Amino acid sequence: MAVSAEFKADLLRAIPSLRAFAMSLSQNGDKADDLVQETLVKAWDKHQSFQLGTNLKAWLFTILRNEFYSQMRKRGREVQDSDGLMTARMAVHPSQHGQLDLKDFRAALEQLPEDQREAIILIGASGFSYEEAAEICDCAVGTIKSRVSRARTRLQDILQISGEAEFGPDAISSQVMGSSAA
Amino acid sequence: MTKKASVADTATPKRAGTDPLGANTEIGRKLKQYYDDLVSDEIPDRFASLLAQLEDARPQSKKD
Repeated sequence: MAVSAEFKADLLRAIPSLRAFAMSLSQNGDKADDLVQETLVKAWDKHQSFQLGTNLKAWLFTILRNEFYSQMRKRGREVQDSDGLMTARMAVHPSQHGQLDLKDFRAALEQLPEDQREAIILIGASGFSYEEAAEICDCAVGTIKSRVSRARTRLQDILQISGEAEFGPDAISSQVMGSSAA
Repeated sequence: MTKKASVADTATPKRAGTDPLGANTEIGRKLKQYYDDLVSDEIPDRFASLLAQLEDARPQSKKD
């Protein structure tokens, strides 16, 4: 069966998200684009195994993620390149009062272990549900939840943000409802 | 007030308030900003040409 024009259009549409996910995983532009390229080739070859009506984006993310880890195994962890390590060693300080800039955040994100980084990206940025993320990462929903939570705590530590969401929706409503809630 | 149309003030998350990565948390906001920045990156032409190549190379492959 030939690859349909619709499938091709869907692949094209998915490229920006795939690149963003690949960048988040590899932290390296060239490697990210190689990953996306591999993913597109594999998706094209395996298009018959994609079940219509299911989530194409999740299917593509799964392929990309598998490709990332298999490349990483082949290369033996040189994926974390020297640039990445340099950035990771830099101290991160919020630049203005509580307002961190994107560079600080990026540096903090790089310090997370891959499994935590991918989990928090999938849930907090790519818009997947915990169930979908668990499927993409081939693990239990509970595992994703704990990775996300560890990632969040770690980011808060690195960026010196107090545990804002730990105690309630936000500072204002906890002031309003604060003492009455027992 | 600057009009920035950020995720924070336009989209109302389904679980507003209880979502630990929601738009009312610093981490949640930064995460989305980081990702949106990547998503809006310009796409190199190599991907469109790759798909065109794949289409030409295997128009009717694998009929089992």
